Amino acid sequence: MNSNKWYERSGRDGDVVISTRVRLARNLNRYPFPAEMNLEQKAQVVDSICKAAAKEGTPVSLRYIDVANLPQREALSLVERHLISPEFSRCEEGSGLLLSADEDVSLMINEEDHLRIQTMVPGLELDEAYETADQLDSFLDGQLRFAFDDRLGYLTQCPTNLGTGMRASIMLHLPALQDSGAIQQLANTVAKLGLTIRGLYGEGSKPEGAIYQLSNQVTLGISEKAAIENLKGIAAQIIRQERTAREELCRNPHFEDRVWRSLGILQTARLLTRDEFMALISNVRVGAALDMLPGVGLDLVSALINAAQPATLLAAAGEDLEPGARDALRAKIVRERLAETGKAQ
Amino acid sequence: MLCESCGKNQATTHLKKTVNGKTTEMHLCAECAQKHGVGMWKGMGFDLGNFWGALFAEPSDRAIADTVRCEVCGKSFSDIAQSGKAGCPHCYTTFYDRLLPSIQRIHGKAQHTGKVPAGAGEKMKKDRELEELRRQLAANIADQKYEACAQLRDRIQELEKEETPHEQQ
Ligand SMILES: [Zn+2]
Ligand SMILES: [Zn+2]
Repeated sequence: MNSNKWYERSGRDGDVVISTRVRLARNLNRYPFPAEMNLEQKAQVVDSICKAAAKEGTPVSLRYIDVANLPQREALSLVERHLISPEFSRCEEGSGLLLSADEDVSLMINEEDHLRIQTMVPGLELDEAYETADQLDSFLDGQLRFAFDDRLGYLTQCPTNLGTGMRASIMLHLPALQDSGAIQQLANTVAKLGLTIRGLYGEGSKPEGAIYQLSNQVTLGISEKAAIENLKGIAAQIIRQERTAREELCRNPHFEDRVWRSLGILQTARLLTRDEFMALISNVRVGAALDMLPGVGLDLVSALINAAQPATLLAAAGEDLEPGARDALRAKIVRERLAETGKAQ
Repeated sequence: MLCESCGKNQATTHLKKTVNGKTTEMHLCAECAQKHGVGMWKGMGFDLGNFWGALFAEPSDRAIADTVRCEVCGKSFSDIAQSGKAGCPHCYTTFYDRLLPSIQRIHGKAQHTGKVPAGAGEKMKKDRELEELRRQLAANIADQKYEACAQLRDRIQELEKEETPHEQQ
């Protein structure tokens, strides 16, 4: 049995696709949107949603986390695990999180909308992620009757989410396409098709670790199924392009050298900043995807990327650390987990 | 050839930019290509505040807009136009006609074609039946067919009774 969380595993098309996420925005009819609610109303919304989610017959059992009263490192660690949005981690009283034991289903209550249902799966699994979200949505709607209009669909605070209220995203590792400078062109192309692609770590221009997120933009006038098929089609093309670009890379002797050097630094370094770690692990991830590195699999890489994020490091340590001490702790954890790997040549 | 921006790395990207009809070309390395791409990344999202504001902030519109307020959250149309955000689900009913053009511009379309929640489906069906029954009732009254009217009234009352508990929930 695999007890690892979704972000510590790899899945279908895992050489390029890290994970899949589906998010549904839903609201209750009788209340203003969270930005306009007072504390009492917020508490009522949290209470109704928690009660509905705990009702007999629920497809997923969820536990409640009071995000507003978590230590900051733990709230930020939830962001790093993609369970909540950065805005939600800064939320004040009156917001709550419902989380499944596997952390693959999360419900943000009183973020921008009253409810955001999120499901996460490792690898490329759009159908599975949507199905889980859809089931939970139908179950909750049976009790809560979400705000809906037959012309505008599900009613959301921001008009960009009207209609299905669905944002489906695929997290992609695109080091070879990034290296060739092709991401820009890709972004222009997908924008014309109603999708967006953006860097996940660091500011837009040069995402650390070459990790990108591809999502649908249009939610009104397109069904969930059509949006997912559209996303699948574009993802398949990007995956193919990235694989072709990697084949090209493999012919370059500097590439093999770079992968092994990166592993070497990760196995021996005493201090690692997050940026340096992300750049190195990105090289190691391509090596792992191409089976170049004995003992270094994609699961291990995913688990390391998760464990090495700043707030997750501190949350595991149970204390706040100075940046220097944090970089030392990151290097230690990475060193230990990679100690016995990549030895056979 | 070497990158024309930094002069250090091998150029791998050929960039063409057209500004005011004037086209410039550059050969860049991957790093510089990404630097030049910053503007593109920023341009991809919607700046809704400005977007809605620009569409709706005309003074003549504002005067009319401010007199009508959403009965659930109290927002006026210009409140929504300025922030780019609705105050509550009911705002979309209250200001439907005025919001429609920009909703259409965001999504390209303005008719939902996705999932319909079971509850809303039933309610939609009932609403349509009620509408039809009321139309028939009016027609029968006009034609002085009073026997049919009694039956229609019973059915209308029945449906209205079924509907009220949901609305007061
Ligand atoms: Zn350059
Ligand atoms: Zn309102």
